[in-house]
Amino acid sequence: MSAALTGPALSLSLPGKPGRVGRGVSIDSGRVSKVSTSPLGVAEGSLRLGVPALDAALQGGLAFGALHELAPAGALQLGAAFGFGLAIAALAAAKDGRQVFCITTDFAVREGGAPYGLDLFGLPLEHLLILRVAHPREALWGFEEGLKCRALAAVLAELPEEGQAADFTATRRLSLAAETGGGLGLLLRHHRYPLPSAAVTRWQVAATPSAPDRFGGLGGTRFDLSLERNRRGRCGRFVADWNYDKRTFLPEALSLGMAEAARDRPDRTQQRRTA
Amino acid sequence: MAMNDAAARLGLKSGLALADARAMYPTLTVADADAQADRRLLEAVADWCDRYTPLVGLDPPDGLTLDITGCAHLFGGEKAFCADIVQRLARQGLTARAAIADTVGCAWAVARFGRATEPQAYTIVPVGGAREALLPLRLAALRIAPEIEAGLAQAGLKRIADVIDRPRAPLAARFGEAFIRRIDQALRREDEPITPRLPIPAYVAERRFADPILLETDVLGTIEALAQELARMLERRGEGARHLEVALFRTDGKVDRIAAGTGAPLRDPARIRALLAERFTAIGDACDPGFGFDVVRLAARTTERCDPQQTGLATPDHAAELAHLIDRLGARFGLRRVTRLVPQDTHIPEFAVAAMPASDLILRSPRSGRLEGWPQARSLPATMVRDARKSALLPMRLQDKAILADSLCSPRPIRLLGRPEPIEAVAEVPDGPPVRFRWRRVLHQVALAEGPERIAMEWWRDQNGRALTRDYFRLESREGVRVWVFREGLYGRELAEPRWFLHGLFA
Repeated sequence: MSAALTGPALSLSLPGKPGRVGRGVSIDSGRVSKVSTSPLGVAEGSLRLGVPALDAALQGGLAFGALHELAPAGALQLGAAFGFGLAIAALAAAKDGRQVFCITTDFAVREGGAPYGLDLFGLPLEHLLILRVAHPREALWGFEEGLKCRALAAVLAELPEEGQAADFTATRRLSLAAETGGGLGLLLRHHRYPLPSAAVTRWQVAATPSAPDRFGGLGGTRFDLSLERNRRGRCGRFVADWNYDKRTFLPEALSLGMAEAARDRPDRTQQRRTA
Repeated sequence: MAMNDAAARLGLKSGLALADARAMYPTLTVADADAQADRRLLEAVADWCDRYTPLVGLDPPDGLTLDITGCAHLFGGEKAFCADIVQRLARQGLTARAAIADTVGCAWAVARFGRATEPQAYTIVPVGGAREALLPLRLAALRIAPEIEAGLAQAGLKRIADVIDRPRAPLAARFGEAFIRRIDQALRREDEPITPRLPIPAYVAERRFADPILLETDVLGTIEALAQELARMLERRGEGARHLEVALFRTDGKVDRIAAGTGAPLRDPARIRALLAERFTAIGDACDPGFGFDVVRLAARTTERCDPQQTGLATPDHAAELAHLIDRLGARFGLRRVTRLVPQDTHIPEFAVAAMPASDLILRSPRSGRLEGWPQARSLPATMVRDARKSALLPMRLQDKAILADSLCSPRPIRLLGRPEPIEAVAEVPDGPPVRFRWRRVLHQVALAEGPERIAMEWWRDQNGRALTRDYFRLESREGVRVWVFREGLYGRELAEPRWFLHGLFA
């Protein structure tokens, strides 16, 4: 009886958004900063990657409720690109304990293998739901359904080849779906797609030689990330180490020179600064 | 030889030799008998008869048995019931003779050998009137083999009345027990159950229309209304449906059945509707409304316990939403396509993780998100490290822990190829890792290598004892690409010239 009285009878909280006061303003380590409430789903909050250089370029992290595009930098870098997508998904899942949904096609599995030792990579298997479909069109349908579902932290869909099925219209549609659900949409193309897409960020991922461990064996995974397109800030090239044991990126990432912001969609911070 | 009415009018008879018939009428049209098509037609009619009762038994080659206990009054009594069946079948172009009786045997006999008075093609034997109805019929009406009938005819026994009161022992001795049993079954001295063609669903709701409905929205609206009825029934019993089936009865007699499985017990009418709408989309044109459906029936084939759950005020119900997503994906692509990975108790890499249908693994509690019956994960460094530290002689430093965890459960690739791909590899020493390898026509120089991790094949898995031991290596190329390769077979002991394969990709 006493236990029932001491506990709170009713608790109302907004999970997954600590420190958030009202819409559009976030309190972050004592510093109040404006969060842009653009139509790109930015207001949904961001996933902090834990790498200061990267988070700065992304204006606080990878936007939830938006679509992000990944592609391997070379034909043999599929493992790296998939690994980066998984690492992001694992981070998102670790944040609030929601599930990760992974979509592949039969062709992609034949070509590049099926998801396998993911628990050792940092994504617990009970947090993972996998859909395997026959056709990229069906993958897109499943992707959209997954993005609309609020129970998923991240949806990672991979399309074989360039993923022509996900053209500008399709990616715009997926972005809107992601805004509805508020999850992280990750589109992995097996090859780089040269045409425009509605994704908020576009990445090219490669693995880069790791620092060998004390015994001369293979070190931790090291990604070479080219942020090719970023609607919230500058583009750039980063190196990030993934620690699968602790499920974090190591903070001391190298930034290999910043590129200019995307020309077709200028960086808003730049505008504010000049104005 | 069988024939149609036109041939019968010419004076031909069933059982006549084809050559004789052709001699009489050279222009006869002759077609081969197609027993399978007959069977399919009979099954289609049986499907259609499902609208009257769920207990429909096949009686090949040309009969159906319906258990109409408690059904006839729904159609306005037995007479109206029979008239309805015969009339509707006639509209489909089928000539039918029907009989209702106390026993299957009696109804069978009266339908085939009774004298139905025209214009009605049915006979109703009053309750308790089986004996009187049977007496004047031929012995063939007892469902006996022709040779038994011929034998009885030689003894001068032609009608059922001739045998029904005779001493049973001599008849049984001469014509077999089966003959006596047929008499008993017809007179209900012995039970004769009907074997239903389809399993009988636990819960059924149906709606009939005077005017057939055509539009998909109408059908889905009907389904939702039926789902509401079904939900009330399920709620009263504290159950939820795991397997749903919609039967759509077309006016021309075709029956479409659309089934959908669910990942968790389901009662919510809106979700049932959404699930079946998904199935309709997946099926596409395979479900053709034709001239419309006049009966729509929703059945819960399998049910499971489903306790009501308190939903939170502030937190969205993630487990329910996820279950709904799985159902929708399952309805569209098949539940076997939506999987979760489950670790298996084996060292062989390709069998170590199995993709199991997500609908078979039920989340135990929506809060913790743990899976019921989830096997212990292969890699739990925390406990393993603790055990290892107990046995270790020296206290460990932090970085040694990671290394120990690494050696206790060695890393696995994040993508595993379904079939290991042969590569050309060059190793410095026979047992060592390769220094360069060629995969998919690209040459890679190996910068770092770890291994070997030797995995012997499990002897109980291969029948000839010829499975080869594999030595796995993790390789990192100069560009940073990491792969998992293995050498199949041990030098000298198992093979003279072992081969190399690439099995997976690391991040």
